[in-house]
Amino acid sequence: MGFLDSLLGKTELPKARPDKLFAITTAAITLQASLDLKPDGAAAICIKPMESSHYDAARAEVEDFLKISTKECGCQYSIQKDEYGYMWVVLKDPDLEDLVASIQMISQVLIEQGYGGQILCAVFRFRGESTVYWIYSFKQGLFYPFVPLGDQKRNNALEFRLKASIEKELPIEKEMERWYPLWGMPI
Amino acid sequence: MLLTFFLLGALYLAFLVVLLYFQADLLTTLIFIGGFMFLQYFYSDRMVLWSMGARLVSESEAPNLHETVSRLCAMADLPKPRIAMVNSSIPNAFATGRNQRNAVVAVTSGLMRQLNQSELEAVLAHELTHVKNRDAMVLTIASFLSTLAFFLVRYLFFFGGGGKRDRSGIVLVWLASMAVYVASFLLIRALSRYREFAADRGSAIITGQPSHLVSALMKISGTISRIPSEDLRKVEGANAFFIIPAASGSSLFNLLSTHPPVEQRIAALERIEKELSA
Repeated sequence: MGFLDSLLGKTELPKARPDKLFAITTAAITLQASLDLKPDGAAAICIKPMESSHYDAARAEVEDFLKISTKECGCQYSIQKDEYGYMWVVLKDPDLEDLVASIQMISQVLIEQGYGGQILCAVFRFRGESTVYWIYSFKQGLFYPFVPLGDQKRNNALEFRLKASIEKELPIEKEMERWYPLWGMPI
Repeated sequence: MLLTFFLLGALYLAFLVVLLYFQADLLTTLIFIGGFMFLQYFYSDRMVLWSMGARLVSESEAPNLHETVSRLCAMADLPKPRIAMVNSSIPNAFATGRNQRNAVVAVTSGLMRQLNQSELEAVLAHELTHVKNRDAMVLTIASFLSTLAFFLVRYLFFFGGGGKRDRSGIVLVWLASMAVYVASFLLIRALSRYREFAADRGSAIITGQPSHLVSALMKISGTISRIPSEDLRKVEGANAFFIIPAASGSSLFNLLSTHPPVEQRIAALERIEKELSA
C-alpha cells in the first residue's frame, strides 16, 4: 500500500502471496536431519471470514474441494471457528506434501474469488522434543517458527535456534516483531 | 473536548497577537510557531496518554487485547502499536503517536466491558486505520498550515509597514485573525470528519464485517438505548403529548464536531456492507 493511499485514507488488504508455501517440504528434510524435527501430520489455514454472500459462495467452494480431495487421499479435515472469530481449516494427513498441496489449493480458490486478502496464515505442526509450529504468513510470503510453552509464553531460544539452522533453505521473516503468536490454535 | 480545543487555540492566538503587537520580529514568531508544532508533533503520544490517564499494558496483562490487535496488524500488514488502557467507565478508544512506529492505541475499561469480541475488534481496526493513515500527522500539518495562513494574513495586511500601535488597530487585527482562525478551525473539523469516515471504511475492510462496527458505534453512542422496548400500541396514545421529538443533532453541531454523526457513519457502513456483498 502506497504512502499516498494511506494519506488519502484508502485501505486495502495486502494481497496473498502463496508462492513460497512449498519451501516447507524441502526444509522438512533438513529439519529432520539436523534437528530431529518431524512433520506431525497436521496443518491448518486461518481465514478471516467476511460478511458477504459472495464470500459465502467462495467458502462453499472451498468445502466442496475439501470433500472431494479428502476422499481421494484418505485424509481428514475440519472447519472450526476460534474465540477471535477467525475460521480454521484443519487438515490431518501423514504426508506433508499432501498437506501443503491442499493448503495451496484452498488459498488458490480464495484468491481466484478475490478473497486472497482474507487469508491470515497457514500453520504446519512439527514434533521433536517439543511441538513446533511453522507459520506461513500469506501477507509476507515468509515463514516463522512458533513454539508455545503454555500460559502465553513461548520458547524464544528454540525459535531463534530454528531460524538460524534453517535460514538458508526456508524464506524466514527477518523482522521478529512480525513473529505474531497464535495462542489457542485448534491444531 | 471541542470547547477545550477551541479555547486552547484562542489562547495560543492571543499569545501570538501579543507577540506581534510588541513588534517581535518575524523570526521570533516563526520560531514560536515551529516550536509549538514540534512539541505537539513529537510529544503528542505522551501528552495524550498523560491527559487521558492511560497506562500502557503488557501482553500478560491484557492477552486478549494484544492478540486481537496482533492479528489485525498481521491482516493489514501494519507494525503492532503499543496498547494502553484507561480506567474509565465511558466506552471509548483512541489512537495517537506521530507515526506508525510510535503509535499507541488505547481503550477504556468501559469499552472492554460493554463490547463483545467482534465489536471490540471492529473498534480496534478503526483505530489501527487511523495509525495506518497517519491521521495524527495529517491533522498536525493541517493545523500548522492554518496557523501559517493566519499568520500570513496578519503579517502581510496589517504589518506591511512598521506596525501601528493604536487602539483601533489592535481590535481590527484581532477580528481579522479570529476570522481566519474560525475558517481554518471549521476546515480542520471537516478534514477530521473525512478521516473518521476513512477509518470506518478501513475497519470494515480489515475485519470484513462492517456490521460489528455498526453495533459497536450504536453501543458507544448510546443509540441502542434509543431503540424503544415498549410496545407500539402502548406508546401510541402518549406520543401526542410530546411537543419536541427526541433531540437529534443540529446542523451547527455537525459542522463543529470532529466526528460525523453516528447516523451518517452507520449509513456509510451499510453502503460498504452492500459493496462487499456485490
